[in-house]
Amino acid sequence: MKIDKDKLGELYGKVGVGNQTLLGIMGRNRDISVGEIFMIYSDRDGHERVFFFRVLGLENYLRQVDDMSRIAGTLMVEGDAYLSGIDRNMLLSLGGKMLGYAEKNEKGEWTFKSPRRLPDHLASVYRPVPGTSDEFVQEMLACQTDGEVYIGDLQVGEETLNVPVKIPIMYLPMHVGIFGSTGAGKSNLMMVLIKSIIDTNLDAIRKPNADKPRISAFCIDPHDEFAKGVDKYGIQNIINDMSSTTRSDVIGDFYYLTTHKSATTRDIRAYTREIRIHYSEIKPRDLYSIREYTSEMSSFIDAQYHANGENWIDSILSMDEESSPVQVSTLRAVKRRLSFLERSPLFVDSGTSILDDIFIAMETGRILVVNTSLMSDMEQFLLTTIVTRTLSDMRRALKSSGNLGDFETQGLKRLPHGFFNRVKQKARTFYGKDGVADSSEVRDPRKLPVIQVTVEEAPSILNPVLMRGQSVFKDISRQGRKFNIGLLVVSQQVSVLDNVILSQMNTEINLRLGNEREIKACIENASVNITGFENEFRVMSRGEAIVTASYRELPLPARIPLFDTIYEKDKDRYKDKKSKKQEEHIL
Amino acid sequence: MLDKILTEKFRRKLKMVFTDIQNQQDRRDEQEFAKDEVRIKERLLDTFTCYKSDIILENDYRIAAIDGSGTDSLMTLDDIRIHLLSTSTVVIDTNTQSESLFSPIDRDTLENELGEQPHLETHWHSGVRDDARLKLAETLAEIYPLKDVTSLILPFFKDFKPREITSFSDFTGTDYEKYMPRLKEMESLISREQLLTNPAVHEEIRKVSEYAAARNVLTSDICPKYLLIDGALSVFMHFVRRYPSMPSGFMLRDLCALARQKNVILCAISKNHTIPFAHRIAGMAREVFGENAKWFCHLPSKDDPEGGLHIYEDRTYIPPMLAVPYLYSFSRDNRPSRIDFDRIWWLENIFVPGDPRMTRANEKALFAELEFMSRDARWYGYPVALALAHVSCKLSYEDLRLAKEVCRDVRTEMGLDQRKAEDLRADYDL
Repeated sequence: MKIDKDKLGELYGKVGVGNQTLLGIMGRNRDISVGEIFMIYSDRDGHERVFFFRVLGLENYLRQVDDMSRIAGTLMVEGDAYLSGIDRNMLLSLGGKMLGYAEKNEKGEWTFKSPRRLPDHLASVYRPVPGTSDEFVQEMLACQTDGEVYIGDLQVGEETLNVPVKIPIMYLPMHVGIFGSTGAGKSNLMMVLIKSIIDTNLDAIRKPNADKPRISAFCIDPHDEFAKGVDKYGIQNIINDMSSTTRSDVIGDFYYLTTHKSATTRDIRAYTREIRIHYSEIKPRDLYSIREYTSEMSSFIDAQYHANGENWIDSILSMDEESSPVQVSTLRAVKRRLSFLERSPLFVDSGTSILDDIFIAMETGRILVVNTSLMSDMEQFLLTTIVTRTLSDMRRALKSSGNLGDFETQGLKRLPHGFFNRVKQKARTFYGKDGVADSSEVRDPRKLPVIQVTVEEAPSILNPVLMRGQSVFKDISRQGRKFNIGLLVVSQQVSVLDNVILSQMNTEINLRLGNEREIKACIENASVNITGFENEFRVMSRGEAIVTASYRELPLPARIPLFDTIYEKDKDRYKDKKSKKQEEHIL
Repeated sequence: MLDKILTEKFRRKLKMVFTDIQNQQDRRDEQEFAKDEVRIKERLLDTFTCYKSDIILENDYRIAAIDGSGTDSLMTLDDIRIHLLSTSTVVIDTNTQSESLFSPIDRDTLENELGEQPHLETHWHSGVRDDARLKLAETLAEIYPLKDVTSLILPFFKDFKPREITSFSDFTGTDYEKYMPRLKEMESLISREQLLTNPAVHEEIRKVSEYAAARNVLTSDICPKYLLIDGALSVFMHFVRRYPSMPSGFMLRDLCALARQKNVILCAISKNHTIPFAHRIAGMAREVFGENAKWFCHLPSKDDPEGGLHIYEDRTYIPPMLAVPYLYSFSRDNRPSRIDFDRIWWLENIFVPGDPRMTRANEKALFAELEFMSRDARWYGYPVALALAHVSCKLSYEDLRLAKEVCRDVRTEMGLDQRKAEDLRADYDL
């Protein structure tokens, strides 16, 4: 079946020179920008294909003129000079990269291939036109853009097409990186992601029979802006829009975690919990994951943990220098390093821990927005580490078990007893295939909600020095997919991240970057070949991204919409349809 | 060869040649130039007021231009050489009212009127005696739109002997009577048959192709104000018979007559003008009118008031017979060019007998118009229509290489023997 070329957009030019990697296109003198995507229709040897081409460089070309500078000079010097009938000879020479091509397979479905072929001689080049090309582009690129978690719209130059770019849920446990300098739009992207996760979960709730997976997210909010929003709207507006039933299905009793509940605004406060973690829930490994310890210090801590179990922190902090089993300097150093726990309101040695609630929320497909703006770096890193390690250890225990009886044994081995004993009954309801009895078979972790843990300021904990040791994140980055736990690594820099995490990352959302070194690192780290995109990174604006993924051939340029815009567009969807109807009836 | 060229000896040889030229030629001309200097400076050379760049003409008009290109050896088949010629006509409109200055008229309109553009011709002849003349005559007859030879030759005689000859019967009793039989066939109009080398034949066909295109413009509905051709309006004469030695001479005069009849200004522009002391005249213009001045200089003939200039007294074709040449420059960056007008038109439209000031005013208006059409930044100082025609007809080295390749292809397709289209010397790596 012949492709309707009118659906591709406007006829722009012809393919001139090039090979399967780089092409030169001669086109009309239009207002083209670097980064625009063109489609090339090719029918070589009876094979219909649509090639995708991305502009990396532009040059003015005047037919029949070899020396443009001379002409410019003449126009300048001879003020009365003109150019006769030049309009039709004014062309643009575009250089760029072949992104790949779409073609139909035997079943008549569109597939997308990496550039391994070349368009036909002098093939026609089409420029996508928003409003005309959207539907067809979406159809052709379905395998490259589809998924559940919406992050933005396909960008073709400065315009966007109505082609949503999404990440499939199944790839979230294979870790996502968000890279961008200050002001590149990371916070807005995070809010868009949170909204997408809520939307996905809402969809799963509303269609219980469709067996759609749910997503949990532990989102670090370093500037306390997700709930209230950066501009007009925030996540709280979505929560407010929901009926109480929907709200309880989507967020349970709370979604907002903070250090000081009293400092929270009234509407958010209703959905707020204070972060409190017991000393007993902290393992030595959590500390090793966030800060460097000498071998003497770690041996000492490990020995104390071995001897005193969950009371290890208290026992170290209360240890006399005279009775110290190690050199006084080591004890002092360890005490110094643990002293932030004493000063911190987050970490307590008595009272109610929030970890149980976090565990329950994460196992029921909910989002948590964690306001870390009032925490020190160490507190934030330790919190992220404890949560990540606890969640992964729970699922690890599950993965190592045949039935719930086994699970309990495994859990007690791996997790702090206090915590485990508090959550084990709940855990049984989540993990048991049929009932909560010991004999009940356990569920496959991959059938449980996907848990996405944000690691903010990632270089502080995902750096090569810490990742060399016993970091919790080393295991998660390698094995997270087994447990359906993925990291959402947010960083201003790529170059300083550890290679283990970079090599395990399968989706990258690359926003505007600060400098040449980061651009280079970002290109090297991308899951698909984006060499030659340097210029693009240099001209990217706020909210523009290049999304690369190992499971996709096409690097996708996307424009992340403002949270406020998509919220306004979608706000009606959160209302409970039934109650709305009733209201109308009453009116 | 380089080892010879790069030697001091070769440089000395060149120095001797230049000294020789200076000693003999320049010195003699210098004396002649001295005689003309005051007349040139005061009465022949002048400047004019240029049009403003944002001028809106009351009546926009069209300008047509024709140029040709070609090769006399598209392919060599033993003693046969195949010639290829391309001729292009470009018509532009001043378009001041729509502010799209000098834009070419729509290609479809042009091709509807004049046929495919650029237009390609081929020609060949063998080394058999008289074959060159016969085939040349056939080609010319085919190309030139005016097929009646009597009508073709008359305009020349009417202009050349205005008082004696106005129709074919007027030849009786004149010196031309004995040549009348020769003036009836295209073949016998070629009276330089001894000189019909391939380049000469090529030159004649090219000229005639351009004249044919010009005639088509004149007889079409395009109605330009100007018709520009490349080269000069020279008619090369048979010294004994006193009429053009080649058909192109008659054709040129036919064109001039037709242009006058249609109120079209026919002019020929040549960059290689062969006017002696052109650089000195240009220097003088700079001196009188300033560095940036746009100027022209009339090159009078012996029939003009005060007669011809001494500098070209002994040069046969300057000024050309039945034409009026001017030297001009519209840009400080260009060396002066030459423009020829039909003398009969010039006498009717520019020259005012006994009134040199009026004549000068006419010249100034003419050159202001020519200058206005020569401001394209790509070829500043050269008429844009002619430049576009040149670009359009130009057979580049690469075009020619491809044309030769096509030649080979076509022969293969026709099942003819595989003969290389390259130069024979390529066979020996020479």
